[in-house]
Amino acid sequence: MAFHLPTGPCTGVGLGLREPHFALAAEANPGVPFWEIAPENVIGDGGRDHDTVCKVLSRDPVVTHGLGLSVGGFDPFDADYLRQLAEFLEFTGSPWHSEHLCFSTVDGSATHDLLPMPLTRASARHTIRRVKELKERLPVPLILENITFYAELGMSELAEPDFLAEVLDGADVGWLLDVNNVYVNALNFRFDPWRWFDRVPLERVVQMHIAGHTQAFGLTLDTHGAPVIDPVIRLMQEVLPRIGRPVPVLLERDNAIPCLDTLLEERAAIQEAYDQVVAVPVRRSHD
Amino acid sequence: MTEAAVLALQRALVEAALMPDPGPLERDPGGFAAGRGLSEADQAAFRRFKDRLLVYRTLVRGNLVEPVEWVCRVTRALLEPSGAWDDCMAAFLASRGLQSAYYRDVSATFLGWLAATGWGLDRWPFLLHLAHYELLNALVARHPGAGPDAVPPGALHPWPRLGDVLVLDAPGQVVTYQYHVHRATPEAPVPGPGTVHLLAYRDAEGDTRWLELTPATAALLVGARSASIGQTALDLGLEDLSEAVELLADFQAKGAIRGFRPAPARTGG
Repeated sequence: MAFHLPTGPCTGVGLGLREPHFALAAEANPGVPFWEIAPENVIGDGGRDHDTVCKVLSRDPVVTHGLGLSVGGFDPFDADYLRQLAEFLEFTGSPWHSEHLCFSTVDGSATHDLLPMPLTRASARHTIRRVKELKERLPVPLILENITFYAELGMSELAEPDFLAEVLDGADVGWLLDVNNVYVNALNFRFDPWRWFDRVPLERVVQMHIAGHTQAFGLTLDTHGAPVIDPVIRLMQEVLPRIGRPVPVLLERDNAIPCLDTLLEERAAIQEAYDQVVAVPVRRSHD
Repeated sequence: MTEAAVLALQRALVEAALMPDPGPLERDPGGFAAGRGLSEADQAAFRRFKDRLLVYRTLVRGNLVEPVEWVCRVTRALLEPSGAWDDCMAAFLASRGLQSAYYRDVSATFLGWLAATGWGLDRWPFLLHLAHYELLNALVARHPGAGPDAVPPGALHPWPRLGDVLVLDAPGQVVTYQYHVHRATPEAPVPGPGTVHLLAYRDAEGDTRWLELTPATAALLVGARSASIGQTALDLGLEDLSEAVELLADFQAKGAIRGFRPAPARTGG
């Protein structure tokens, strides 16, 4: 059965909506096609910033991006949280909800980090079952993001793209393709990102992420704390024609957050790069 | 590999991140993995990726400590010079008490841990009071407001009458500390001893404000939420009731009191 792609009102290059920009974004939409918001940062909160961000979320196109479901973990999903999340998804009108292909809690202990799944068949089977459960319990399609990881957790049986493909296909879900994560992993594990794309189900891509990274501890870290570098933008430009559809791209910035004008300039530059390639005919593999 | 082995790997990584002493992982990553029931192949992976697993440890810990440092700035300033802040955070993280999916709950979990364990109270008996004050300062500003069971606004009036009870604004809190925590600063983080009554409330701009209260005013704000203002004032021995009414009206104007409504009739038996 062919994968049914979720669609929605989000197009072009959107921007992650972060607290320092709530007030300006609430005054008037500064030309951002859509925003992305983490539900965990809004649900159950209150006060001035909460009221302000809710104005934006009820006015503009929004996609939601979760941080804490621990999709690959073993702890039962929190029924109260899922109910609140469902209400939030309906409030925002998000066409889908994205989460990370990772785990973040163990035995009830939350780490609030995106920890890597063992790259094994048992791990994939377990994750597929969890994702299928989540699909049943959410009011919108769930899509999964490939994460940055710095170490393989245990002895791997599968390469990352094969693990990713097995989970996406097995659970029959869409993919939030983070091109910066691919780039960062390629640097840290010394692989060719172009060949990586040959092994993954690009037909499942629903949305993309693009972000900046930083060097620390002898590694490249996915900090979202710097402007997006040109090679990552080129990677986005290379993969978009291979996807063959103008999937929406989201610019993330979570650390060292600059003023909104600076981010809007960066978004506009990425939009320009995006516009240059979305009309290019589909290529099946990298030349 | 079985799914039980997947869980064992996840447990090992989280333990590596949150255990107080990284020594066992640094010195013998294979032995660390073996001690957690991992296979020889997984032990080899732990040896191969030891340095990167330690990077995870740094990232996880930094991520969890950051919101506590943001909220508890004075507490941190108090403990940091002696190195006790790092010890405190290490003990907190090792407790693995954080269960909420909400990142903003990290600080509240820290306070709960501090209260449950009494960490540092022998040396800094005011520590819990200070951290509580700092957390409340943050929570009042982001309180979600009145819930569905709240008194509807139409049932309240803005000017107090002696037969009324008062309704605090939802974020408002009357608190009593045994130390002058509200005067502590990062530069002078040790609060002086002495009982202090405070009203925390959210102003019209959405910021947390604090008012220092006399004992009688604090008792009036607490008592007049269930008994009439006039009765509460009499019980407290307040002689000038008009002064009490004006005070409450002033709190209402500031936004600390949401409004007033007739006291419910007393029932016998």
